[in-house]
Amino acid sequence: MKILQDTFSKRIYLILGLASIIGATQSCAPRPVYRRPPPSSSPPASSPKVPPAPAPSPVEEPPRTPLPQESKIREQDLKTKSPITPPAAKETVKPPLLAPPEPTTGPLPDDSSLLAKITPGTPPQRAASLRLTEEGRKLLEAGDAAKALSRLEKTIVIDSTNPYGYFYLAKTHYQLGRFKESLSFLDVAESRLSSEPFWLAEVHALRGENFRALGMSDKAEASYAQALRLNSGNRTANDALTRSQKPTQATSH
Amino acid sequence: MKRPKLRIFSILVISLLIVTSSGLVFGSWYLRRLEETVTAKFEGQKWRFPSKIYSDTYLLYVGINLRSDDLLEKLRRLGYHESQSSPKRRGEYRFQPSRGLVEIYLREFSYPTEQFKGAPVRISLQGTIITKIENLATGEEMVSLELEPELITGLYDRVWEERRVVTLTEVPPLITKAILAVEDERFYDHHGIDPVSVMRAVWVNLRSGGVVQGGSTLTQQLMKNFFLSDERTFSRKVKEAVMALIAERKYSKDQILENYLNEIYLGQRGSQGIFGIWEASQFYFSKPLSDLTVGEAALLAGLVRAPNRLSPYKSLDAATKRRNVVLVKLLDNQVITRKQYEAALRESLPQREMIKVTNDAPYYVDYLRRELAENYSNDVLTAEGLKIFTSMDLQLQKIAERSLAEGLKKLEASYPALRRRGEEDNLEGAIVVLRPQTGEIKAMVGGRSYQKSQFNRVFQAKRQPGSIFKPFVYLAALMSGGEGRKKFTPATMVEDAPFKWSYDGQDWEPGNYNDEYFGTVTFRRALEKSLNSATARIAREVGIKRVSEIAHRLGVQSPLPAVPSLSLGAAEVTPLEVAYAFSTLANNGVRARPLAVKQVTDADAKVREKRDIKVDKVLTPQLAFIMNHLLRGVLDRGTADVARRWGFTRPAAGKTGTTNDYKDAWFVGYTPDLLAVVWVGFDNKAKLGLSGAQAALPIWTEFMKRATAGTPVTDFVVPPGIRIVEIDPLSGQLATPNCSYILREAFLEGEEPTKTCPLHPVASPQVSKFD
Repeated sequence: MKILQDTFSKRIYLILGLASIIGATQSCAPRPVYRRPPPSSSPPASSPKVPPAPAPSPVEEPPRTPLPQESKIREQDLKTKSPITPPAAKETVKPPLLAPPEPTTGPLPDDSSLLAKITPGTPPQRAASLRLTEEGRKLLEAGDAAKALSRLEKTIVIDSTNPYGYFYLAKTHYQLGRFKESLSFLDVAESRLSSEPFWLAEVHALRGENFRALGMSDKAEASYAQALRLNSGNRTANDALTRSQKPTQATSH
Repeated sequence: MKRPKLRIFSILVISLLIVTSSGLVFGSWYLRRLEETVTAKFEGQKWRFPSKIYSDTYLLYVGINLRSDDLLEKLRRLGYHESQSSPKRRGEYRFQPSRGLVEIYLREFSYPTEQFKGAPVRISLQGTIITKIENLATGEEMVSLELEPELITGLYDRVWEERRVVTLTEVPPLITKAILAVEDERFYDHHGIDPVSVMRAVWVNLRSGGVVQGGSTLTQQLMKNFFLSDERTFSRKVKEAVMALIAERKYSKDQILENYLNEIYLGQRGSQGIFGIWEASQFYFSKPLSDLTVGEAALLAGLVRAPNRLSPYKSLDAATKRRNVVLVKLLDNQVITRKQYEAALRESLPQREMIKVTNDAPYYVDYLRRELAENYSNDVLTAEGLKIFTSMDLQLQKIAERSLAEGLKKLEASYPALRRRGEEDNLEGAIVVLRPQTGEIKAMVGGRSYQKSQFNRVFQAKRQPGSIFKPFVYLAALMSGGEGRKKFTPATMVEDAPFKWSYDGQDWEPGNYNDEYFGTVTFRRALEKSLNSATARIAREVGIKRVSEIAHRLGVQSPLPAVPSLSLGAAEVTPLEVAYAFSTLANNGVRARPLAVKQVTDADAKVREKRDIKVDKVLTPQLAFIMNHLLRGVLDRGTADVARRWGFTRPAAGKTGTTNDYKDAWFVGYTPDLLAVVWVGFDNKAKLGLSGAQAALPIWTEFMKRATAGTPVTDFVVPPGIRIVEIDPLSGQLATPNCSYILREAFLEGEEPTKTCPLHPVASPQVSKFD
């Protein structure tokens, strides 16, 4: 009886809702964005010509004319993304300090060259941003963190989606001893690097360094472990583990 | 008989002695005081150096879409001069549109942490795109180049004295000789006052029947400039002469000359007075002193007498005549040869446009002053010559000023009831522009006219936000779920019908615009159409405290009362807070602290303070994306869809805001790279009677159209973990081929609808997965 009642009330709501929406639609100017042209009719003359979309299923779907106001998602960008990496932060089992965790991947090829990422198809702002990131990286390596910071801040002004800019900003803040700021930039870099395990490992390793500097050794260990899980060849994480092994080995002798 | 006479004589003598000794005592005391005054000036701080406020640097790089007009306008504002041939000197440029080339001889400038060297560069353009940047001096290709920041204004006490102090050794002898030749020929022969000059001046003045010539030495002029007024009185002249004698006794001729060369007033650029020989050389010729020609040196020397009347900016003829007088003097005194004299006579004075520093951003500057006041006293700011580098983009600032002024004027023309007679209740507005990724405040206009009202509505006016607060309710709803709470997605159906919300023993009944209700609508539709009733129902479901927390988390700083009406914006916030909070959404959930002051350096270019970009990830990029996707609908088909018809077609998200009593009209809108908030209303909170879409949106649209013209189109990047699904907006379920209307909706992975549209059954669902 209750089920019947629920079904009945759902239907009533649905009908009411439908009626109200139709009423609302009629009261406003029709919004072409919602309208799908009937399969038999040809698109209006003013509509842009669009090649028919590849059929996603055996059921042939009539091509739909995209309209200028419709919210468009850049599918070409999306399809290149690789599957989501499992979340790293929620570690329930702490990895043992002296025994490095079993890496899920082997050492990844070095992908650190930013200039190699510039191809003829790279959008100009990304290319300029990558070049500036490279300059910032060099300044950082040369020990000029202040100048590097100024250069790297420009990288995200030019291209806010350049994840390497955020990563090196995090690295610069780490070198300047601003660990909390560094962690914030790493959060941003991580959300933009989820499809690049080499770089994601770098993010986790640097996060480990920050946690270590803040005296949060448990979190540091978890971050190093996560970095090695993504790339067993991650130098920062390996060095950190080697450092932590040395005093223990010394006492065992 | 003799005794009285003797007595009188004695009294007289004693009186005389008393008067004389008193006079001597007073005289020596007065001289001592004057000497102390002169010493204090010579050995203490002679001048106050106003702090200067600069815009952000202008970055050019290969691939940027550049409007050459913008670049040329920028160069012009920076004081670069167009040259007909390839630029040979710093501060010159040449534009060849037919060849797509811009050549600039960059000036040197020091930015904190970086020194930019002046060099000739060539920018190649293909259409409006920069294809190549070359350093012509080294032949190297450059990745990017930066143009120096623009001077916005100075922070000064009463008058703005612009000067750079130089030592005597830095001044070429020709310049000092030229000045001495026309101002004080016998400078090295007198002791502060020159009786010969005085006699000559007296003779000339007697013959002409008025004061036409002064006999002041250069030392006397310096004393007058240092301590005294311009009035021509006998007592002032005596005081000036005494001080000159004191100065000459205590200090060397070179010390006096050096002070004179740095002290003299040599022109006016708007509110900025040009003082000292170095500043004058820059002002009139954009050159260092060492590069001045004989003719230019003579012109500067000639200006000392009447800098404004004889200025080449005012009259080339008067300036040339005066220059020639000085050249004759130099020839007579054998400072220059006849050949040099004739060459100098042939030098033509170019007609140049004076670029005034007008402070185009007074409201922004006031905001900066408030920020700076936390660390620097007014005395420091007005005297120590700090350089303050800011986030301001002067181009965007001008566009914002113009859009607001024109927009308010148009509103008054369209709605005459908005025109008020009293100045106090004029229609007002404010606009603030942020770069979401960095938090940089790129532009700020706190009111319609700074002359009429200095009240900065961007950060001082707390107003009800109305419907622009609603997105916080919807975000809180998307984040809710679990613990017995309802889970919302963009396709959740919500009821839009009158209801009562009982809270703390009181009933609150939110009503829709025009009392029009839509029954059941999707979550998206409720937001796009800004439906009060549906929004309040969502807020009740989520909990008003949660809504308040979310708003604070995003960046609202004002206290938000946890009462039901908060869901419809019944709290008070500033436009800056609104901009801050929404920039977090635009920046994929990363909150970037608003940044106006970037760096402060002292007069020696030492960094006193650096404020870096500060970010905090406060929201997942997935939730931020869904909100942006929802708010995009507001522009595409919701309450702000008219912006599309007005020609703003870029991917953008936004929200209109109208308070219940029609006192405030808002619009906040953003592309992934630029966010602007516009507020319109009356300061006395009178009824405006217009919605956000009617009053604020036109201003926002005009601003965004102008601000983004020519810049690359960017879209909101879809983060992993988002599914885009085609749904039927009527049922909120997966669309079928039979659905007349479909919408591509974004969901968190796993939250997308799984059932097909019951209204248009049969066909299989169309689902595309993006991750």
